[in-house]
Amino acid sequence: MRIPRNLEVWRLGTVNYLKALKLQEKLASDRKINKIPDTLLSLQHPPTYTLGKRRTDYNLLVPESELKNMGAELHYTQRGGDITFHGPHQAILYPIISLRDIGLGARKYVENLESTMTELSSLYGVKAHGQRKCETGVWVGDRKIGAIGVRISAGITSHGLAFNIDPDLTFFKHIVPCGIADKDVTSLRTETDLVLPDDEVIQEQLVSCFARLFGYNDIIWKDKNVIEIDG
Amino acid sequence: MALRIWASSTANALRLSSATRLHFSPLSRCFSSGNLHSYPSNSPSLCSFLKFRRQNRNLTYALVSIAVLDGLKYANSHEWVKHEGSVATIGITDHAQDHLGEVVFVELPDIGGSVTKANGFGAVESVKATSDVNSPISGEIVEVNTNLKETPGLINSSPYEAGWMIKVKPSNPSELEALMGPKEYTKFCEEEDGAH
Repeated sequence: MRIPRNLEVWRLGTVNYLKALKLQEKLASDRKINKIPDTLLSLQHPPTYTLGKRRTDYNLLVPESELKNMGAELHYTQRGGDITFHGPHQAILYPIISLRDIGLGARKYVENLESTMTELSSLYGVKAHGQRKCETGVWVGDRKIGAIGVRISAGITSHGLAFNIDPDLTFFKHIVPCGIADKDVTSLRTETDLVLPDDEVIQEQLVSCFARLFGYNDIIWKDKNVIEIDG
Repeated sequence: MALRIWASSTANALRLSSATRLHFSPLSRCFSSGNLHSYPSNSPSLCSFLKFRRQNRNLTYALVSIAVLDGLKYANSHEWVKHEGSVATIGITDHAQDHLGEVVFVELPDIGGSVTKANGFGAVESVKATSDVNSPISGEIVEVNTNLKETPGLINSSPYEAGWMIKVKPSNPSELEALMGPKEYTKFCEEEDGAH
């Protein structure tokens, strides 16, 4: 008999990038020793640029000091992928799950993250696709609507996906997003004719797509304040 | 041609429905032409197992052959060790590289550093995911494969030979005994893949 699998989802609101990173590190080590079940963080960030393990800072087109003037932070991380931007009205999911428990390798895991975003897009009549060879992410035509950058350590995932609901796309002009120079970035607002509900509704739908694609039987929702967790 | 006949009889044996089309992934095409795993004729014998990988949502399956070599020891995190005299060479298995996708970046430790059994010594990046690589044994790092800096794809094309990652002087040779042999590892992979 297959043991039912539950996903614990933490709705965190808007969280500073470093606070979210520290939280993920703690949860990942808890998950490794089975202290917690598979956990998914659902949140947004204030304006933040991030780089991956390869430290491709040549794709940052303005000096770091100018980012501060814009009210944005810059962080170097251990995730895969190139430079990207996170900001308000971009839905972020950070799954802290055991890939070994569900028998997934990196490639299949990332494909499922792409499918999560393409399914969400289709709810709003937007035909998005992933699984583009050499260009991981989710695209509407030649325009990128969702990005992925993941870390897998001891079989436990951290970081995850970022889906553009309606972020300020001008922030992307200051980088070569994901290292891809000749393609545009887009958002759900730009691509759909439908009136969008509040971000919280869309974020919940994104979580539901994730849970369905990864075969979870139940979602346990928790609303958390990160500052409380720190203390 | 032989591979095609083999696959076809396997499909019959598995009684696949007519709705499921078999075709060959680039992996197995290269395998049959000898480009992908170009093992010389005097190399350790090769056992391998077949697995089906679903290619896309239209239920098209590719028959993929995963290689497991004799003469190596294996960890359950899918790294291999080749012990020759006082040096052990370490890399990741064909199963691991297949599950990773195309490797675009490899992070390796410095020579002179040490590795500890079951702990990470480096990482690989593929499909925007960085994955830690663990050492099956403890010891001192005596060599690292600098070719992986320019050509990280060697891990995909030649996981057991040109794609080796580090060479280590084992500090505790008995750790090798605790690792899996090729038959055990093959069974481990089949069970892992089959369970989900």
